[in-house]
Amino acid sequence: MRFRVEPYVEFAKKAFAREATYRMEVFTNVGSLLVRLYLMKMVWTALYAQNTAPAGVPLHAIITYTTIALLMSLVLEIDGTRIIRDRVREGSIATDLMKPINLPLYFFSDGFGQTLLHAMLIVPSLLLALFIVHIDVPSPFVLLAFAFSFALGYVVNFLLNFLMNTIAFWTLETFAIQLIVRWVSDLLGGQIVPLIFFPGFLQKIVLALPFAAVYSTPLLIYVGTIPPSSYPAAFASQLAWGTGFAILATFVWRGALKRVVVQGG
Amino acid sequence: MPIIETRELRKVFRSVKRTPGAGGALKTLFSREYVDKVAVTGVTMSLEAGELVGYIGPNGAGKSTTIKMLTGILVPTSGLVRVAGIVPYERRSENARHIGVVFGQRSQLYWDLPLVESFELLRAIYGVSPERYRANLDYFTELLEMGEFMGTPVRQLSLGQRMRGDFAAAMLHDPQVVFLDEPTIGLDVVAKEAIRNFIAGINRERGTTFILTTHDLADVERLCRRIVLIDRGTLIFDGAIETLRDGYGTHRTLVVELCEPERHVEIDGAEAELTTPTLARFRFDRRTMSAETLVRRVTEKYPVSDISIEEPELESIIRRIYREGYVAEPDAQPIAP
Repeated sequence: MRFRVEPYVEFAKKAFAREATYRMEVFTNVGSLLVRLYLMKMVWTALYAQNTAPAGVPLHAIITYTTIALLMSLVLEIDGTRIIRDRVREGSIATDLMKPINLPLYFFSDGFGQTLLHAMLIVPSLLLALFIVHIDVPSPFVLLAFAFSFALGYVVNFLLNFLMNTIAFWTLETFAIQLIVRWVSDLLGGQIVPLIFFPGFLQKIVLALPFAAVYSTPLLIYVGTIPPSSYPAAFASQLAWGTGFAILATFVWRGALKRVVVQGG
Repeated sequence: MPIIETRELRKVFRSVKRTPGAGGALKTLFSREYVDKVAVTGVTMSLEAGELVGYIGPNGAGKSTTIKMLTGILVPTSGLVRVAGIVPYERRSENARHIGVVFGQRSQLYWDLPLVESFELLRAIYGVSPERYRANLDYFTELLEMGEFMGTPVRQLSLGQRMRGDFAAAMLHDPQVVFLDEPTIGLDVVAKEAIRNFIAGINRERGTTFILTTHDLADVERLCRRIVLIDRGTLIFDGAIETLRDGYGTHRTLVVELCEPERHVEIDGAEAELTTPTLARFRFDRRTMSAETLVRRVTEKYPVSDISIEEPELESIIRRIYREGYVAEPDAQPIAP
């Protein structure tokens, strides 16, 4: 059968419109971002006043890092695939299966639509953030590399969420697992503390983990810790994680479907 | 060619055997003992295009398992299933284009968005042409009187309005077969009637085939000529409602209002029951005794102020079948070919 893009564009549009109906939540997100940013600024300033700059990262660089990380989180903290979990629990996954659509692609478009709405908050949030902090702006070339790396990180993050929500086919409930993974990934992904602050051996491990592909790589590109000469290696590692997760997701999804069509869900 | 065909369709669910208690739970973790539960034991049926069939059975009889196999979201353990010439579970997506589904307890509409946006989404999903979409939407809007709430978010709709929306949603892509699962559950009489009229109208005008699963037998009496009864995974009756009624209609009930209160009533050849001290019911087999004979015997024995004969309600027939199992009576013909 001929593949048609139209339904998926439509899914994204509807998800965008749906998210837009929760106006209060959207504003709260921006508010909480500003509060977190202010606290992080206080913490880093206090730490830097007592110690020499760790790993040769000056205070303005760490503030820049933190600000960009928080802006990224506006998009990355959206778990677009939580509808999988919800629909499995309600049993409405059965009606979804009765539609002539590719379900994983449906979930991706829906998640993308939600993300798009939240992405629109980045610019106003940045403008408000500038009242609290000053940030460094790198060259357009670095910005471009950052954007590309961010996009790859977005895909890795989506697949990670997809995998966890698909667990619902077996357990119905995924909240606890997701909470743990979220904490671990925030910490080990470099969202809170740059991974280069981890001591030698530990640093090697955390940089090799998939979580680094989500936040750390784009951020380190932005602040210049990853120089242009290392871009290919950085992108390759993100791509590798993305591909690996995509393959894993395919298998898990097949298993989940099989469970539904054989066991009746 | 029949539009729906199943032969010896069977579904067995396999689950891990659980031993009760904490020790049992631990044992379950490591042992792999399975229990098989037969949900559908070999269902053979065939539906012609344009039929409106009531698919009836008690809870857990295997109704929804059958429907799931017909919609392609459940793979049968064995047997044959074909919908509009397609084996549903092999080509789920293609099958999905021919079928529509309405679940009374579950909506396929977008909760947060105005009703019309769900329709637009479905247009995109099924690739309905703009002209066809317009025509269908206008038609359904008028028939189901949806005009006034087309722009209202679905979560603000009443149940009746939401159901009407769900019906339109299931029909927008002109499906050949529509599965209805308790479509009138929880609706008030007016809304029920509106939904029934809609189903009957679409079936008549467009020749759409409907399979109606419901516990509300008024739906079935009003809409279906044919009824398929399933119990414990097995078809126990397939035929016209009249056949079922006649088969069980060998028994009638004579309702008698007595002039004086009685403690006990008894008549030869009938099962007697006192509902109140002055209201007696005599259930009799019309093949062994005529109503006239019974009336005579009753009036000879008791002073009577009023008499009426009750035709068996479909509901009471079905209730009896659930309780006692289907027993074909000699002059009835169950399981039509």
